[in-house]
Amino acid sequence: MKTIVQALNVAMTYRVGKIDVPALRGVNLEIQEGEFVSIMGQSGSGKSTLLHILGGLLKPTSGNVVIDGEDLASVTDAQRTDIRRRKIGIVFQRFNLFPTLTAEGNIKLAEYIRHSGSVRDHAEEEKRRRHILKLLKLEDRLHHKPIELSGGEQQRVALARAIINHPAILLADEPTGNLDSENSQIVLDMLTRLNTELGQTVIMITHNAEAAEVGQRLIRMKDGKVLDSRVLRHNFETTEEIVSARK
Amino acid sequence: MDSLVVANVKQRPTRTAVSIIGVALGVVLVMMFAGLVNGMQNDRKTRESSVGADLMFYRDFSLTTTSLTLPTQYVPKLQEVPGVGLVSPVGQYLKETKTGIGFEILEGIDFPTYSQMSGIHIQQGQPLTEDLDVIVDEVYARQKKVTVGSTVDIFSRKFRIAGIFSPPSGSRIKIKLSSLQQILSSPDRCTMIYLKCAKGESTATVAARINQALPDNKLMPLEDLKQLYEKGIPAFNTFLKVVIGLAVIVSLLVILLAMYTTIMERTREIGILKSMGASKGFIVRVIEQEALLICISGVLLGYAAAFMLKIGIMRFTSLQVELEPRWMLYAALIGIGSGLLGALYPAVRAANQDAVKALSYE
Repeated sequence: MKTIVQALNVAMTYRVGKIDVPALRGVNLEIQEGEFVSIMGQSGSGKSTLLHILGGLLKPTSGNVVIDGEDLASVTDAQRTDIRRRKIGIVFQRFNLFPTLTAEGNIKLAEYIRHSGSVRDHAEEEKRRRHILKLLKLEDRLHHKPIELSGGEQQRVALARAIINHPAILLADEPTGNLDSENSQIVLDMLTRLNTELGQTVIMITHNAEAAEVGQRLIRMKDGKVLDSRVLRHNFETTEEIVSARK
Repeated sequence: MDSLVVANVKQRPTRTAVSIIGVALGVVLVMMFAGLVNGMQNDRKTRESSVGADLMFYRDFSLTTTSLTLPTQYVPKLQEVPGVGLVSPVGQYLKETKTGIGFEILEGIDFPTYSQMSGIHIQQGQPLTEDLDVIVDEVYARQKKVTVGSTVDIFSRKFRIAGIFSPPSGSRIKIKLSSLQQILSSPDRCTMIYLKCAKGESTATVAARINQALPDNKLMPLEDLKQLYEKGIPAFNTFLKVVIGLAVIVSLLVILLAMYTTIMERTREIGILKSMGASKGFIVRVIEQEALLICISGVLLGYAAAFMLKIGIMRFTSLQVELEPRWMLYAALIGIGSGLLGALYPAVRAANQDAVKALSYE
């Protein structure tokens, strides 16, 4: 098993006026390829800051963050952007789709950004797009704009957009936070499918205990530190077994 | 990315339309000013060239300050110079048109010598005989919807159209030189004297003889007349630079404000692009492409507006407009260049936004 994410003594301090506010105080964690990890904690526990650092959106004050062999903490902004483009997919609580583009437009934009400046294999992209859209049950929603889609559908489009380029890790920031229980269940099922059927490494931030249960491992955070980490299930279970167990 | 750019531009139709109009305004400004100056100059040059003269003898002549300053006593003196064939004195006066838009030149001529030199002939009616007679060319008659016998107000006097001449030559409206002298209280004066060399005589040789015989005056081959007209408005180039500067500022400010507002509104979307791994260069390109799309639309609208204005101006006024391809190109470059420059600051600002802050922007 390959270590895909490694955080070593990661600290992050925000400067608010003249006061230093520590958000992370030496976080250490390792995530293996193909794992589905839930990170849980109260507001202010530092979980969102950790996700932003893992996603290369923030540079830690100290420590190292290695994603698929590349250290995000020791590179320039431009290099971090490049790593994010190649290796990281992110979904947010508020879906964050481009309102002016259709579902397909949003997904294709991600492909365009990923391949800008490089040679594109359109046939391969098309094949992968179809596979993912089928997996996320979005084939008939492609030509709809976000406003014409339900919250669950929007989040599935966001998921498709995040994984369309086969990222090394998928970061989900409270992906069910804006959804009702039915749509939350659908999105969690989809995350599980992506993990079990595509082998996608998933790191999900949540403060919802029920949602956190879908992961294979649960990391709890408190006061900017990892409180504990425990295995919830083994990764040889099939999607159906996991989904039916939850029901 | 194309669809993102187009979708963004279409998202705010009113703002996009205002931006396009702003760019078009700059384009129209440049094209119309250059077109008007070129049109007027070329029209006059064409008509002055068709006077049929080889040389113009004058003292003080410019496009904007025509007046009767040259004594007509030079006419017999010029006739005595070897090699000079025909001599015809002409008075010119620049007057405001009846509509108040633009100017027209009124010429006072000695019909017998002028018609002999230029080859104009009366198509309808008769030549200038009475003091209050006026002859006009066919273009004037058509534009002003006048015929032989109609009256024309000149210096608050009713002149009768005695005849319609053809082909166009010099000014479109001509009265007797003696009448113009009387009206302007400048007896025995004219603005210039046209000269035609005798058969077989070289213009340069005749000019040299005239300069020797009558120094302290000016002599110009009619071939060089366009340059004289350009000199006639010495502020033309400066004014054109001012107009170009204004066009650049208008386009630049319109695009800068439009794109800056857009960027502020789309802060969250910039954050999304960054979270997807879009580089700073990519974000700058998206915004610049939006500006380019607006600018191209503005240039096309500017072209359409300029052509429609040209038609309107030429139909309802005596002004001539020539929209030269060269100036169309300059106007496009000004519109697009200043627009792209105006979008650069918002684009760079957007590209440098903090991704996390942008994503949490409400």
